[in-house]
Amino acid sequence: MKRSSQSRKIYAILLTACVAGYFRIGWLLSGNLPDPGTAGFCLIRRVTGVPCPSCGTTRSILLLMSGDIAGSLLLNPFGIIVAVIMIGTPVWIMADFLSRRRSFLHFYLHAERVVRTPGVAATLILLVLLNWVWNIGKGL
Amino acid sequence: MNAQKVDIFIMSNSKYFESHHLPQIRDRLLQLDDSKWTVIQFLQFKDPTVSLIVSLVGGTLGIDRFIIGDTGLGVGKLITCGGLGIWTIVDWFLIMGATREKNTAILLSAMY
Repeated sequence: MKRSSQSRKIYAILLTACVAGYFRIGWLLSGNLPDPGTAGFCLIRRVTGVPCPSCGTTRSILLLMSGDIAGSLLLNPFGIIVAVIMIGTPVWIMADFLSRRRSFLHFYLHAERVVRTPGVAATLILLVLLNWVWNIGKGL
Repeated sequence: MNAQKVDIFIMSNSKYFESHHLPQIRDRLLQLDDSKWTVIQFLQFKDPTVSLIVSLVGGTLGIDRFIIGDTGLGVGKLITCGGLGIWTIVDWFLIMGATREKNTAILLSAMY
């Protein structure tokens, strides 16, 4: 596959995901907060009743936006990661677009290579599993 | 490579590639040097049906994307509850095509 089509595809998917995330946050903040205790979009939680590793991410981001960083970390640390990605990705892609470079694509591909090395992958999988156990323990 | 070898390869591996890529793949293989045949013959391709099954079962955790080598998108799906469940459902329909695209990329990278 050509580099340019690959970068277009990755940029399009990431930007769509970010825009969808902003719409979701905007929708929730405009007074449409769901009743506590109802399962959101998560398929795993709807089907099995057990939270998935990333359940609580939206609530964590909402807490972060209200300034409660500690509460956000305790609810689900994924919220902080997703918030950083949601803010950073569009800015970086826009900067790339304006300066006609592909630094984001290079970073993305490099990060993929690093994550695939066995040591890093094993550590990350362990962290996700621990977060999952923690989520189940918290009963999110 | 001679046409017989190429046709055997195409016949036994056609399910791993997009049908519109097959004529192009055949042309490239015909132009390829015979010394590459052993490498091409022993390439391991990812089965689109397996990725569909994985997508149906573990799509919310992004396992389908991890399996085909899209690590970045897999992480994206994992940390967003499968893209709020929407990306999971979209991927049930896209994952077989994505797997075939990956297989084409594997084949092309082995050729050069």
